[in-house]
Amino acid sequence: MNESSHTSTTMERQAMHKTPKVNEVNEFIEIASDFEDPLEVIREALSNSYDAEATWVEIEIKQDDEGRNTLIIEDDGHGMDEQDLESFFDLGNSNKHDAIGYKGHGTKIYYKSDEIRVESVKDGNHVESVMEQPWETLNNHELPTYSVDTEETDETSGTRIEVHGFRAGQGFDPEQLTYNKIEHYIKWKTIGGSTAWHFDDDFHEFDIEVTLSPQIDNTRKPIETTNKLEFPDENLHPDGEFVAERMCKHFPPRELTVTLDDGRELTIEVVGMVGGKEARNELPTYGKHSAQFGIWLAKDHIKVERYNDAIGADNEFFHFFFVANCQSLELSANREKIRNKSGDVYQAITNELERFMTKVCQEEWYRDYIARRKLEDKKRSVQSQESSLQDRLVKTKEQGGLSPSNPAEVIAALERYSANGSPETVEIADFRMDEEVNAIVNTDDGYKNAALQAKLSDFFEDETPLTHIDRFICWKVGDRDALTKIERASYLGDPIRFDFSNNEVTYGEEDKKTIPVLELVDKM
Amino acid sequence: MVSFDVIAEAGETRRGQLQINDRTLETPHLFPVVNFYGGGNEPALFGGGIHRTVKEFMVNHPPTTGGTDYSDLFGGVMTSISSLTDYGIREKKLEEYLDNEIREWGKFSDYDGMIFADSGGYKILKQGGELEGEDFTKDITQDKALDMQLDLGPDIVVNLDHPIHPDDEFEERIEKMEKTAVNARQLAKRRDEVDGACYLTVHGYYEAMLERSFDAIENELDKPIPEVFDGIALGSLVPRKDNVEVLIEAVSDCRLEMQQRGYNDLPLHVFGISGNAMPLLVAVGADTFDSASYLHQAINGKYCVNLFETVPVEEADFHACDCRICNDGLHRDRMRNRLDDLYQKDILGSVAAHNLAIQQRELRRFRQLIAEADEDQIAAYLEEAVKDQKGFRKFAYKLINERIKPYFDDDGETSYA
Ligand SMILES: [Zn+2]
Repeated sequence: MNESSHTSTTMERQAMHKTPKVNEVNEFIEIASDFEDPLEVIREALSNSYDAEATWVEIEIKQDDEGRNTLIIEDDGHGMDEQDLESFFDLGNSNKHDAIGYKGHGTKIYYKSDEIRVESVKDGNHVESVMEQPWETLNNHELPTYSVDTEETDETSGTRIEVHGFRAGQGFDPEQLTYNKIEHYIKWKTIGGSTAWHFDDDFHEFDIEVTLSPQIDNTRKPIETTNKLEFPDENLHPDGEFVAERMCKHFPPRELTVTLDDGRELTIEVVGMVGGKEARNELPTYGKHSAQFGIWLAKDHIKVERYNDAIGADNEFFHFFFVANCQSLELSANREKIRNKSGDVYQAITNELERFMTKVCQEEWYRDYIARRKLEDKKRSVQSQESSLQDRLVKTKEQGGLSPSNPAEVIAALERYSANGSPETVEIADFRMDEEVNAIVNTDDGYKNAALQAKLSDFFEDETPLTHIDRFICWKVGDRDALTKIERASYLGDPIRFDFSNNEVTYGEEDKKTIPVLELVDKM
Repeated sequence: MVSFDVIAEAGETRRGQLQINDRTLETPHLFPVVNFYGGGNEPALFGGGIHRTVKEFMVNHPPTTGGTDYSDLFGGVMTSISSLTDYGIREKKLEEYLDNEIREWGKFSDYDGMIFADSGGYKILKQGGELEGEDFTKDITQDKALDMQLDLGPDIVVNLDHPIHPDDEFEERIEKMEKTAVNARQLAKRRDEVDGACYLTVHGYYEAMLERSFDAIENELDKPIPEVFDGIALGSLVPRKDNVEVLIEAVSDCRLEMQQRGYNDLPLHVFGISGNAMPLLVAVGADTFDSASYLHQAINGKYCVNLFETVPVEEADFHACDCRICNDGLHRDRMRNRLDDLYQKDILGSVAAHNLAIQQRELRRFRQLIAEADEDQIAAYLEEAVKDQKGFRKFAYKLINERIKPYFDDDGETSYA
């Protein structure tokens, strides 16, 4: 900017500074509504407990007969004091640093309820806090308040959160929420599916238990799992004829380092497996499996998005399950998307990942596995050929020899007919399977255009014009009733007659033409 | 006296010393293609243009080089008898060229590198077995080819070959292989006339084909190949030079074939290939290469950033290059066209020298690594060389996994960090 433009406009300008206003009530409503998927409650709960260094967390989701939901989340983490409670209830005031929960927005999901009750023990103090009718209050354009009671205690630390009358997104529809679905979600979208343990010697393991009330799901036992995502057992060289589906190899954890142009260093932690369908099915997946396999980009060792381009076009993504973690990825508020995709960081990560995956794809075991699959597919097709050939043999025997079902077989029958001393010469001079008039035959009268069909009646089904046809050659006349029906109705607008005793078809009104029919079946 | 000593090996990669009389060449090595006769007279180093500038670099002509000696870029050069007539000369001129060996011409008398005299089989075959000038055509037989090769005063000669083509019918290929074998026998007969190394051309893209090529030659010779020939030259790869997978297979299978037949001690030369494929081919056992790509790239205004990439010379960042050409202000000014009275040959000659320097530098690095015989470092070198080349990457990794050292241990156990 130059000097003159700076001074010339300052003359009569009156400085006005205004602060944009935030409607706090609307802000709470917005944020609480941002969480559309009720499963995100579970993600938030697990992240918070993990950040509180809990060794276990139990989540219970109950539904009473009126369809009201209660969430109970309990852990043995370091607990909350009054100040922590503030960030639990406040907006944009998280005191969590370097933690998985995003800006403390997560807990605001609980505001969509009739009551939030928090009990926590930290450093010998027991706090109890209740917020009544948060959702109703917000919708009346007021900020809800909460009570705090503190007293000394000798209990061990931990937190219990109860959310009564919870409603999230489309609500906790019992039809939608099942153990299988939750388990899948935990392993794919939360700290429960972490791959950090591959890289961290001091990995902090914790147990996760989720219980649904029988009204929601009574099909199986509660979920008991940990925050480790484990691969199916390795099965490098199984014995047997068809084993590719069972084959499985782990690719040990690797730390890849990339230096950006500006000197910054990125670390990418990759670990993964390659395996056949049976092996992959041992992963805790539910629903559409193809959406789970491939190469995942992760942050906090929690999978975010797939980047299957890393594998390259000549490999199919579903053989792979790799998680590439990089803390330099930036995520959207709901952790569903990577925000910094346009930057050089993302570019560097994906480039390095592509290089790494090339190494995996050029690894000998992997190439053996792919070769093995191919071979087994071939063997399978040989087996199915075999059974189809057996079927055909049975059929052929039943029919007592040749019984053409297509024009090519009619040619074979015609050859045999000629070889056995037919009264006239009919030799195939040219044959094109897909053409309507599919043959030119050499006869005693010279070349003729012929239509070859297993059954004459099939020909008329296709309503092929007869203009260029000099001869019909068929194995059998076929469905005489169908032909008679055509005779009675007319064919392509003109009268037609099938004369089976003279073996000919007469067609047309003025330019009447007669087309001889050679039926082979009785002449053999 | 010819000897080839392998002084270090790592996987199938090898470092050697090729000794021919009193000249020594460290391998792996690239022989840049040089046309010694550009259609002109000796004072102009036989003709003008970029070819002349390249030769001035080769013999250290100070006005061109700025006084720095770049002759080490030309430790061995490749030239072909077919290039004698590249400029449509008259027969009288051809005879004049052939009257004196290259080093007998005053300007080249100080050139101390090796001269590899190719028979020019590819080009001669394309011209129907003839060499054509302005006022003459000569049928080229093995004997005539050798006469001309010897007239150049070479360190290495090779038999006149009949290169095969990927589209050749089987019978056509056999015929060519047999003709090549007959020529090899003819060269073998005159072995004593060659005061240097005799190389044998073989052809094929994979083992079965190479097997046939070797068989055809062995059938013709009455002595084992190593008693007559000092090296194997693998030809016919140029039409497939863009398919690195084919190149790797061909070179690797040729080495395998040599091993099985007991010719493993002979150096393996790869005709007409250089640049990006070179590191991978060294990794499967190629010892020497020849190529004119450094020159052709320069003629097209292309400046090599590395083995894989070129940029238009106007866009080149000379300061990013550590070669001696780019570190010299004179050559930077020339390449930037910043001096008055510059000819294209001055600009592009420096570019060609830089392009060659890039390729030679890579081979020098590779030689050092092989000398240390450290497979990790060789794998890392290859990986680094191809890391941004998607097409090459997968072949490089495959090669590293299978031939040098696997990335992922396959001991059935996964050891976690
Ligand atoms: Zn340079």
